[in-house]
Amino acid sequence: MASVTGDGSAAGRSVTGTVVRAMAREEWRLHSALFGGRRFAAFPGFIALAGAGAVWLLVWSGTTPATIVGWLHLLVLAFGLYTGSAALVGRDAIRNLLGDVTLVVFSARTLPVSERRLLAAFLVKDVAYYAGLFLVPLAVAYAPAAAAAGTLARLPLLWLTLVLTFVVGLVLTFAAIAARSRGTSGTVVLVAGAVLVGLAWAAGVDPLSFLPAGLYRDPGSLAPYAGLVLTAGLAVVALAAFDPTYESPSRTADAQLGRWRRRLRYDPNGLLAKSLLDVGRSSGGFGKVVFSGGVLFAVTAALVGLAGTITGTTPSTGLSFGAVLGLSSFTTYNWLTQFDDLEAYLAYPLSTAAVFEAKFRAFLVLGLPTVLAFYLLAVVVWGATVPVTLAGAVLLVGLSVYLFGLTVALAGLDPNEFLFDTVRFAAFTLGAAVPLVPVLVVAFVLAPTTGWLVGLSAAGVALGAVGVGLFRWSVPRWAARYRAG
Amino acid sequence: MSAIRAEAVSKSFGDVAALRGLSLSVDAGELFGLLGPNGAGKTTTIRILTGQLVPDAGEVSVLGVDPVTEPVEVRCRIGVLPEQASPPSFLTPREYFDFVGTVRDLDDDVVAERVDGWTDRLAFAEQLDTLNTDLSRGQQQKVMITATFLHEPAVVFIDEPLVNLDPIVQERVKRFLAAYVEAGNAIFLSTHHIEVAEALCTHVGVVREGRLVAEREPAALAPDESLLDLFLAEVEGSA
Repeated sequence: MASVTGDGSAAGRSVTGTVVRAMAREEWRLHSALFGGRRFAAFPGFIALAGAGAVWLLVWSGTTPATIVGWLHLLVLAFGLYTGSAALVGRDAIRNLLGDVTLVVFSARTLPVSERRLLAAFLVKDVAYYAGLFLVPLAVAYAPAAAAAGTLARLPLLWLTLVLTFVVGLVLTFAAIAARSRGTSGTVVLVAGAVLVGLAWAAGVDPLSFLPAGLYRDPGSLAPYAGLVLTAGLAVVALAAFDPTYESPSRTADAQLGRWRRRLRYDPNGLLAKSLLDVGRSSGGFGKVVFSGGVLFAVTAALVGLAGTITGTTPSTGLSFGAVLGLSSFTTYNWLTQFDDLEAYLAYPLSTAAVFEAKFRAFLVLGLPTVLAFYLLAVVVWGATVPVTLAGAVLLVGLSVYLFGLTVALAGLDPNEFLFDTVRFAAFTLGAAVPLVPVLVVAFVLAPTTGWLVGLSAAGVALGAVGVGLFRWSVPRWAARYRAG
Repeated sequence: MSAIRAEAVSKSFGDVAALRGLSLSVDAGELFGLLGPNGAGKTTTIRILTGQLVPDAGEVSVLGVDPVTEPVEVRCRIGVLPEQASPPSFLTPREYFDFVGTVRDLDDDVVAERVDGWTDRLAFAEQLDTLNTDLSRGQQQKVMITATFLHEPAVVFIDEPLVNLDPIVQERVKRFLAAYVEAGNAIFLSTHHIEVAEALCTHVGVVREGRLVAEREPAALAPDESLLDLFLAEVEGSA
């Protein structure tokens, strides 16, 4: 009988095909179980529509097609990096959401298929799945801009380079995971990567030119092809190096819960301290919250630069950073709810409302200081007058609390459901855009007069109040919904 | 007064009827075992009795308190060990017991003394400072059992108490449970292990398709009767 453990025979290849199909089905059912089949099925349409809207706005504001294409590739690279880590490292998170889940990729112990074949199949499945579900709609979203620029015929090439960019992100993450399975810490991998990129830059080589986006700009350019060969090589090395038997060593810790609870003062049931310890002790520690804030900081800095070039006026640092950094509420709340599940608390004399209250306080303790620190950094780097700084800070706090309240109202204790739930994602996008767009218009286009600053500060206070109101209104509704089953 | 009482309880999830008029009663000093095939409604029954779910119809009370209207009050008085539950991943067992003690308003000294007793009984003192996520399933189950009994509740609900435990620890847990009900407490046990129910329970009920279809006292079974036969007759006989 032909071996099915990676011999490359016809039987082996058919097993790989079966595994890939099973994984694709599993991926669909995982998402359908979380968000409902129809809502999930509508997600590509939503991406195409929302993407087309964003592209139209950018074109309308004078952004060049080349810049838009560059941003699309960066977005997809980030998505590829995220997908690899979420799927392979986020097993605990999936378990918290869906219970004890066993994915096909982890089934080598029970099936006569080698771990490496399963992993290779997993990567192929991810590429095929997301190339269809996300990247086709993303390329379609660019179609109107391509038509206007007379490059509609190059749309398939755009889709192809987006797929290749996704592959680069996925392979980079997988290589980091493979290195970790050989005992190399994530920090070392990150630093080594940064040093490599820095050295290339110092030697006069632009590392970005090796990314597949270069193929769209100039199909004759050699660097992107070299980048693809490097990516393929890295994938092969990573697959060979990956040690599926790796188990991280047991970790011990001093008893800190009581100490944290006393230090935090208002934590009657220990839920606040527990939420913070969950974030601090899970992979990435508190650094992941800082990283999320850092990404928004970088995006805002890029937007401010872009807006300055388009409008010809210098955007207000305080107001633009104050507005955009507020979006980190969603990611912070996501981290705070990722490591537990409500049902576990219902064995104790704790109400659902007490769990929500603890998450709110944890958000205030962890999320707000983080974004305020980035805000102050922006003020120090780009400068702002005292009145603008104060108005921006009030706006930031108000928007953060508003977006927190909005997230809780729409998603309860499962904010990650936003990712693929079309209806709720659309509602969140709309709810966030209503205050954000006018503030950004003022920040990017208008000179901040005293009147505007007073008005925006008042808006910040009002938004904070609306956020608290949304939170208080939604908690009893979620509690009733959870108890109804 | 019954320690646990359910009267004509029904619960559906969409089109699926999990419970269809289930009634039962458990007195203090009883170890009640609920047996049934997969999907018969055992876990739903426990979740309703512990105030985690609201029934569509029927009445329930635990220690004279209604879990529907006063779920937190009920959970103050009882212990709950859900099926396949694991302790919070990023706390150590010592921190978890501190957390449970805080939530249940127990003095630190009382928690420390009872944890000492349980770590001796279940042999896991060396794992007290290891993150729960890094414990084996069996060690996690020991932590969960300790947390369930930490406040010495008058009523305890347990879903598969012996799962993942080695035979020595299983024996110790069985002896503890028997002594616990002898002291006048009530235990509501859900299990698939008929031999466990036969050895431990003072009273057994078989649930099928959301209804209690049979009740027996294992000690009162005739020499030619067994719980397994009863179970098979009630479940398979009607299939």
